[in-house]
Amino acid sequence: MYTCAGCSCLCDDIEIVTEKDDVKTVYNACRRGAGIFLNYRLSRTEPKVDGKIADFEQAIEKAQDIIQNSENLAIYGLDTTTLEVQELAIKLAEKKEAYIDDNSTFCLGDFVEMILKGELPSTTLEEVKDNAYVIAYWGSDAYHSLSRHMSRYTYYPRGGKRQRGYEEDRFLVVIDVRKTHTAKLAKKNARFLQIRDDLELIEAFNQALDGKAPSIFVNDIPRILKEMEKADFNVIFGGLGLKYGLKGKYEAFKNLIARLNERTGVYFIPAGCHPNMRGFNELMFDKTGEINRYSFNEQRSSDEFAFYRLLENDAIDTAVIIGTDPLNSLPFEYAKKLAKINTIVIDPRETFTGRFARVVLPSAIAGVETGGTMVRSDGVRVELKPLFEKEINDEAILSRLLEVV
Amino acid sequence: MPITPMEIYKLLPKTNCKKCGEQTCMAFAFKVVNRDRQIEECTPLFEEEKYAKQKEQLLEMLEPLKEASETGLIVDESKCTGCANCIVVCPVHAAEDAYGSGSGFGPKIDDPIYRLENGVLKIINVQRCRRYGKNRILCVACRENCPSDAISFLEG
Repeated sequence: MYTCAGCSCLCDDIEIVTEKDDVKTVYNACRRGAGIFLNYRLSRTEPKVDGKIADFEQAIEKAQDIIQNSENLAIYGLDTTTLEVQELAIKLAEKKEAYIDDNSTFCLGDFVEMILKGELPSTTLEEVKDNAYVIAYWGSDAYHSLSRHMSRYTYYPRGGKRQRGYEEDRFLVVIDVRKTHTAKLAKKNARFLQIRDDLELIEAFNQALDGKAPSIFVNDIPRILKEMEKADFNVIFGGLGLKYGLKGKYEAFKNLIARLNERTGVYFIPAGCHPNMRGFNELMFDKTGEINRYSFNEQRSSDEFAFYRLLENDAIDTAVIIGTDPLNSLPFEYAKKLAKINTIVIDPRETFTGRFARVVLPSAIAGVETGGTMVRSDGVRVELKPLFEKEINDEAILSRLLEVV
Repeated sequence: MPITPMEIYKLLPKTNCKKCGEQTCMAFAFKVVNRDRQIEECTPLFEEEKYAKQKEQLLEMLEPLKEASETGLIVDESKCTGCANCIVVCPVHAAEDAYGSGSGFGPKIDDPIYRLENGVLKIINVQRCRRYGKNRILCVACRENCPSDAISFLEG
């Protein structure tokens, strides 16, 4: 059994048939997960210095040199790598008094922070499988972003107190601005709320909790509340749609969850898609009390230390990018500034950022060529077992980079 | 689109000529869907020139019948994302593999009906399906929970 590090579900029941160093068949993984194993040898990068293929030793020496001479260093990415590597990266940032940030800044980091600070009650996916009655997906199309989420952990599996299956023992609520594929699954014992504004829906829930008729979904909201009261274990999965729909007004959402918890048990779990985003947030929280966009120089976290803001404000001269492709994912106005600074890319695959980087250091794919620990979206630590062992991985590279600071 | 007897009937000669051995064209259409009869057994359709267009349409419509498994199940792998909803909802899996696919994990029995192979759904053992054989039940649990319509049955 192997663990798939394709998304934050971290499914650990993957079976793989190999032949020499080739993957022949992958069982039980979704399309994305199977693709990672089957295509692990495709589009691999080579060590490069200034765009030219170089020896690995040359590349690492160049990277060490750049880091040693950098005044304002930023470390970015890390969500697809293991906790062990994240620890080394944090150590590097600390020693170098650098900035460190990951994708959670514009992903679901805010919700993870609320959970870690105890502002939102959370639970584990195993508990959800055994106990949850109302399962709400709010602003998340789990069918696409976390393919096996519903079948492996939440709505469909039978377990513990929920032996009679999804048709009788679960109640599905899907909240979204459009009829997504996940919303199509809301049939019997389910509700799909097609909303225009998340805050408007929160207001409507508050009205219903006050005993008034809600301004929207007059029948649906009282029914959902009634269903929630049937069981003392209900769960809301919040996606990026919820984060951006709230427009930063998290208090309203937190108050709603608190009010619901006065009547029944409602838990919250982020439904994000980077495999080890929560791991980085937890490590940073343990060390600094903040979860991301942190400056070890100023010992504080701030919006201006978010990686894209650092680029925007020309605040850094060097960026170490681990397992992500900002040139591809960030808006062009920020991304184009990457070309002006020294960039060190540590990635197993060829990336767009790698084409413009000063140094490219090829690494190993977590879960395929290197093992370690990752943290699932609900905070449970999952071990990765490597399929093939590769000596040069993120951990080895970062240890080498740490030698010079 | 599922193939229904009515859609086949609309394209048949509708003369109730009984040359195929059935009493009516509608009865013949039902048997074609269930694959008890072949469309070629409707001789007027293939011999008379005036039905040429209808014949072409029918042959095109019945093309998926060839791909379908014994229970009329068709899996379109190009639409499958490997979510495994179908595997977990299957009542047979829940009964016979309660701690494997019934609980959300990969199947723990050797011959499940479905299995995810290389990220897409494969039919492993259709004989276990509730739709299989003479005393079949028209169960649609897997199709109902596939939002991308990767699973379909011939008769809808």
